[in-house]
Amino acid sequence: MPSERTGLTPVKIVVAGGFGVGKTTFVGAISEIEPLRSEAIITEASSGVDELFPEGSKTETTVAMDFGRISLKHDLVLYLFGTPGQERFHFMWDELARGAIGAVALVDTRRIEACFPAIDFFERRGTPFVVAVNTFHGHRLHTAEQVREALLIGPEVPIAFCDARVRVDVQRVLVAVVEHTLKRVMSGAVAS
Amino acid sequence: MTSNRATQTGGRMVRPYTMTGGRTGAGQRPLALEALVAMTPAGMRMRSRFRWEAAEIVAHTRSETAIIELAALLDVPVGVVRVLVADLQEQGAVKVTDPVTEPFADDDAAYTDLLHKVLDGLNAL
Repeated sequence: MPSERTGLTPVKIVVAGGFGVGKTTFVGAISEIEPLRSEAIITEASSGVDELFPEGSKTETTVAMDFGRISLKHDLVLYLFGTPGQERFHFMWDELARGAIGAVALVDTRRIEACFPAIDFFERRGTPFVVAVNTFHGHRLHTAEQVREALLIGPEVPIAFCDARVRVDVQRVLVAVVEHTLKRVMSGAVAS
Repeated sequence: MTSNRATQTGGRMVRPYTMTGGRTGAGQRPLALEALVAMTPAGMRMRSRFRWEAAEIVAHTRSETAIIELAALLDVPVGVVRVLVADLQEQGAVKVTDPVTEPFADDDAAYTDLLHKVLDGLNAL
């Protein structure tokens, strides 16, 4: 199916993290539209998104994806996708990450282990990502180095602190993502 | 938070494959979630020909709208939108803009330019 190029170019950044860590809040803080929720129909055993009715399948279910939109230029629009948090939907992450310019692994330091699957996924896939510690509970309980140690991530992964409700904080994290991707592209190590 | 009719009324009344004539879109490479769909002049002329979801899609694409947005706006699963948009594209009623990262994947200079543009845009928000 040939596609013609029109005036507007879409790019996307994926926001991942454990269930309830604030992904929807993060997207909503900066999106120009209310974060919308969209559904895909899947089966528990499915390995792909949205084959509507895989043959022989009886256990279809729906999975919700939150997303937001930011118009960056007259010809450039950024979509933010929040990944479904529940573990049984992790297979969807690959579709969400495909073609993303980068990703955010959102961390709640009270439940730090909840972001391990996201970090593992982006590391394995080679998607450039930034760790964003959500401080929306008011306190910055840990230093960046403590977080880095707890997450077992290398010195090359940027760590940012943000209040996921605050637009300028979210903006700063997204800037960090794109800067990180730029660095990775320059050094010749990026998956798409 | 969500405005989905399905959650408010306890389920939609038409099963999704009814909207697509039983097709699932399996076997083709699916359109990206963030691919942009825009009505063409031809689509504008033939818009009265379309019914139900196809008509809604055409109506929502007077300005470029992503596949995922269409799914949320119409409150139908993404897979249904993909099948219907592929049909409309074949009929020339809409055109689809794929995300730019994939064609640029092998072209670092173009990709770097794009990233700089994204960065400028984000910094200017």
